[in-house]
Amino acid sequence: MRFPILLPRTGALQGTLLFAALIFTAPSATLGQKIDFAREVLPILSNKCFVCHGPDTKKKKQLRLDSYEDATADRGGYHAIDPNNPAESEILARLHDKEDPMPPEDAEKQLPDAERKILIQWVKEGGTYARHWSFVAPRRTDPSKGATSNGPIDRFVESKLKEKSDGKVGFAPGADRATLARRAALTLTGLPPEPTELATFLADDKADAYPRFLDKLMQSPRYGEHQARYWLDAVRYGDTHGLHLDNKRGIYPYRDWIVRAFNKNLPLDDFILWQLAGDLLPNPTIEQNVATGFVRMNPTTAEGGAIPAEFQCKNNFDRTETLGTILLGMTMTCARCHTHKYDPITQTEYYQLLAFFNSTSESPMDGNKYEYGPIMKVPADQEAWDEWEGLTSERKGLLQEVASQHPGLLTGGEKEAWEKSPARDKLNRIADPKGPFKDSPLHQKASTLAKRFNESEKRFTPTLVARELGKPRPTKMLLRGEYDRPVGEPVQPDIPSAMGALPENAPRNRLGLAQWLVSRDNPLVARVLVNRIWQRVFGEAIVRSPEDFGLQGKQPTHPELLDWLAVELQESGWNLQHMLRLILTSKTFRQQSAHRKSAFEDPENLWYARGPSYRLDAEVIRDMALWSSKLLDGHMGGEGVKPYQPAGLWKALMHPGSNTKNYVADKGTKLYRRSLYVYWKRTSPHPMMILFDAPDRESSCVRRSRTNTSLQSLGLLNETQRIEMSRILAERLVTEAKDDDSRLDLLFTLVASRTPNDAERKACDVLLEKMQTRYQSAKEDALALLSTGNSPRNEALNPAEVAAWSQVATTVLASDVALLLH
Amino acid sequence: MNLHDHQLSITRRQLFGRSALGLGTAAMAQMLPHELLAAEGKAALNGGIHHRATAKRVIYLFMSGGPSHLDTWDYKPRMREMFGQDLPKHIRDGQRITGMTAGQKTHPVCPSKYKFTKHENNQEGLWASELLPHTAKVAKELCVVNSTYTEAINHDPAITYIQTGSQIPGRPSLGAWLSYGLGNMNEDLPGYIVMHAKTSFPEQSLFNRLWGPGFLPAEHQGVLLRSQGDPVLYLSNPKGTSREDRRAQLDTLAALNRSQHEKSLDPQTLARIKQHEMAFRMQTSVPELMDLTKESDKTFELYGEEARQAGTFAACCLNARRLAEREVRNIQIFHRGWDAHGGLPREHESQCRDIDRACYALITDLKQRGMLDETLVVWGGEFGRTSYCQGKLTKENYGRDHHPRCFTTWMAGGGIKPGTTYGKSDDYGYNIANPDGTPMLPKPEKDKWTPGTMHIHDRNATILHLLGINHRRLTYRYQGRDFRLTDIHGHVLKDILT
Repeated sequence: MRFPILLPRTGALQGTLLFAALIFTAPSATLGQKIDFAREVLPILSNKCFVCHGPDTKKKKQLRLDSYEDATADRGGYHAIDPNNPAESEILARLHDKEDPMPPEDAEKQLPDAERKILIQWVKEGGTYARHWSFVAPRRTDPSKGATSNGPIDRFVESKLKEKSDGKVGFAPGADRATLARRAALTLTGLPPEPTELATFLADDKADAYPRFLDKLMQSPRYGEHQARYWLDAVRYGDTHGLHLDNKRGIYPYRDWIVRAFNKNLPLDDFILWQLAGDLLPNPTIEQNVATGFVRMNPTTAEGGAIPAEFQCKNNFDRTETLGTILLGMTMTCARCHTHKYDPITQTEYYQLLAFFNSTSESPMDGNKYEYGPIMKVPADQEAWDEWEGLTSERKGLLQEVASQHPGLLTGGEKEAWEKSPARDKLNRIADPKGPFKDSPLHQKASTLAKRFNESEKRFTPTLVARELGKPRPTKMLLRGEYDRPVGEPVQPDIPSAMGALPENAPRNRLGLAQWLVSRDNPLVARVLVNRIWQRVFGEAIVRSPEDFGLQGKQPTHPELLDWLAVELQESGWNLQHMLRLILTSKTFRQQSAHRKSAFEDPENLWYARGPSYRLDAEVIRDMALWSSKLLDGHMGGEGVKPYQPAGLWKALMHPGSNTKNYVADKGTKLYRRSLYVYWKRTSPHPMMILFDAPDRESSCVRRSRTNTSLQSLGLLNETQRIEMSRILAERLVTEAKDDDSRLDLLFTLVASRTPNDAERKACDVLLEKMQTRYQSAKEDALALLSTGNSPRNEALNPAEVAAWSQVATTVLASDVALLLH
Repeated sequence: MNLHDHQLSITRRQLFGRSALGLGTAAMAQMLPHELLAAEGKAALNGGIHHRATAKRVIYLFMSGGPSHLDTWDYKPRMREMFGQDLPKHIRDGQRITGMTAGQKTHPVCPSKYKFTKHENNQEGLWASELLPHTAKVAKELCVVNSTYTEAINHDPAITYIQTGSQIPGRPSLGAWLSYGLGNMNEDLPGYIVMHAKTSFPEQSLFNRLWGPGFLPAEHQGVLLRSQGDPVLYLSNPKGTSREDRRAQLDTLAALNRSQHEKSLDPQTLARIKQHEMAFRMQTSVPELMDLTKESDKTFELYGEEARQAGTFAACCLNARRLAEREVRNIQIFHRGWDAHGGLPREHESQCRDIDRACYALITDLKQRGMLDETLVVWGGEFGRTSYCQGKLTKENYGRDHHPRCFTTWMAGGGIKPGTTYGKSDDYGYNIANPDGTPMLPKPEKDKWTPGTMHIHDRNATILHLLGINHRRLTYRYQGRDFRLTDIHGHVLKDILT
């Protein structure tokens, strides 16, 4: 059985070129024995052969191995692959040919024997093709029978684990409850559990104690803040324009909206739709507008002499490729200049996708302005958002009251106009002392409310939003991606055909694109999202190249699980909290995380014979110390904050005309806000963030590296805020616990959710005693240490005691006791 | 990457975990087994990973803003005759120019006001302007390339391009690629050090991305060696903390981590113990590095007294030599202020004063110590400057706009043919020229290189080559593509190698 080939819908350059891409054939009958084309063969073809025999092949008669049609075509008496007589396939001869081998001897990429064998077996078995897995919409399959676990996640994982370990290895025992509580709290909120909450959980012996514990964590406002971070990395959120002067940009309400969306558990389909096209929805709300900051997030310039047309183009490249990375899991960059070498994306299709972004109304140059229009004025922090929401709901109530009390007040055309007018106008109408409602008992209430709206709006702050031009800007394909070399007729906005088709009635604008992204037929988005949800829980994803689901990307370690989760995400109403709950309650997650000596070699934990463990992110490392010292300021949202930073860092880099050349550290509580709110200057982010692998946010990042460097050690042990947090934590320990043993217990309970073991206690005691002795005889050193940072010292406490504890706290906070999720 | 590659990379990474070769992860992941063996006997490759390196290290002097080749190295006497005349159309020939001078009614030819003299080298001699009298003295060591070119016409894209191989941010910097490919030779100092030299004209911005890791692991980013505060961020202990205190802390820290490791068996935990110890050593090795008191008077006679002032270009060059002595592989100094749109004489005179003697001193110093042979020194900016005047032209004062099509850079040491010049420009210093002087208009092409020219990708390819790296093979897979510094371009300029 063969399905019809995929034909190009449009295409200036490829013209009649047969864009056959990847053909469907019936799945092979004997699964398990036969070579799996999509998983085993296609990656080899892509990596080793497509460079000459792939989608962008230029020579007319060149064999194309990305096309079943072409691979099996009669090439004058022979076939590259001969489905009727596989043994006669020319490929077999060339793979063995000493004189004229394939790949040629001078090719940069050669075939190892193992790969050669796979190709030979595949051709001998008939050389059938199948589509690349990620272009086929996910479907649920039943977890295999070998597994004994209950939940689907565990059944998929367990059966794979058994398979990989020849049946010898199963799940590790469950982690103890304290470890589990800390792991879950860090995963969901980016902070360890409060000692009281931990104690309550440990004492709760009801069967559903753990799920209830999770729910409580997800209700905490800290949850949304932590989840938002990952998305902000992906969309490259920054507080500056990013290029040249790298001036300030007004867009932090977007960040605050993201936090809000997670805390409200906004379904992820709306989450995406609003960001791509909130402005194109009918009567968009303020949130839907703010969300379009996503479209405006690309770095911009206003460098003197820069050519606007060039940056119009670069801005669009950036948006298109970011979309590809974060939602389609597909590298698009290659197709900017030429048809993709590996993935079935033509150059024309790249520009069709780009065309969705080419009709926004902002100038391509930012003018170095904070209010780089179009902007909208919106609430300036979470409190203001709450207030605004309160007012909006009061207004809704009032309008309902009006509707029920005055059914006959407006008539005919007036009534019709009223129905159509936005709520805001309605309120003003009721509040109008000369209007039709002036005698209504609700008039006074309305004018008070209108006044409060005005007051609230006065405190609004600008944020960049997307707006569509009245008339779309034509998009042409660019020769070699050069902005001044357009070719052919304008292309229409569309999606790459290998990924499906726009829904039938979808408009050809960002809204249509968004509708396609979140449609059930989209093969990629749910998988890409769920893969990263898994990654933020386990530290590594199921497809360990989360930015690339294409032919060159890594294969999913658990393809069926990935698909099951993707479908579950869609069917749950794109419910992130539901997905997190599912994953966090799985046995897979709840296992002990220690490497297993006797278990089979799996250094990267590909098969989950142990639970997650990894070094925490920069933000969590800082937040944990702020939180344990009770310095953490809970204020949510608002302009980025500036904690201590070594002097002169920005000045050494910046143009004299830049308004970000001077770093002025904040004072007071802003020094102690969650790291999510730290001001993000894209050309020079805070060094403590960068030291611990935070990206610069000039380009999208869906996977941070996790390095160990000596500079991190210096930061952990010497940075002003670290020392300040430690000394305030020391004051807490000295105040809240009566003796050294219980102080150490408290310290460990805070950062590790457990008390120290004997070795740890001994190691800390040695340090503590040394420091106590030293600071008792060198009080001036103790006072010097305790003067680090702006927080005042508690003068009621013995400085030698606090200084000694401060050094212990610094040390424990820098050790793997604190730094790891495990 | 398919499953087989994946298995392979794991094995190599594990191997690397046990190896003390000081090779970069890239080297490990990419070398074929026989090359791995060769690397074990490192001497054969002299630190290179694909072939024998002629340079063990690189010192890169980056002139940010775009120095005028016409007022420094590219002598164009015929321009004097054409003072003030409109630049002939066939010379500009479709070159896109920045918005700053695109609207100018005329583009008057602007000869350099400076006197040029010829200095003996190993060929027909090197012309140099009076702005660089000291550097000209080492003409016999330099290879001056008058035919460097790029496509970018504005600073941000151009500097990002030359440093990362792409005009759009997101790619690893040259230095990060070197760190990834070659690893670190030094146990006590970072392998990639960046310095920012002082200037009287702190124009144009620099960006972390210029020494950033892009999509490579963050450990490959350049480490700033600063002249203000701690030379390395967070180097000093906090107030009231002695070195003994820190030792005690680290002992406890190691005990805590070992206890953690006993339970978790996580090798990363042990790796972190090592990094804490290296940090402890850096707390003495960096101050020792920065302490110039043991430098002889001769040193300061050579570099000038200003080398005693932290942060001057001279001090940075002296630091560079000291870092090179300590086996730091990868050193880059950024000097800003070369963006002379107006008042070029005043600005460039000051800029050249900043760097001239120090460049000479660095080359001479390395040579005297027998280190020049294995140290590649590189000088240049992100583009050159126009042959026509920006703004008002007088004999004494003028400005020049950005010019990508042809500019001058130089290299020395580390396997570069000494005392040579390479490539030539037309009579206006506007285009790279054929031997007959007509404009050549080369373009970077994947399979073809135009003799006599050096695109910035060629330049980067050549730098990698000298350090024992095949630029086509040093790759990192990101988003399904095997990225490299030179994108799909770059040709090693064999003509300028010894």
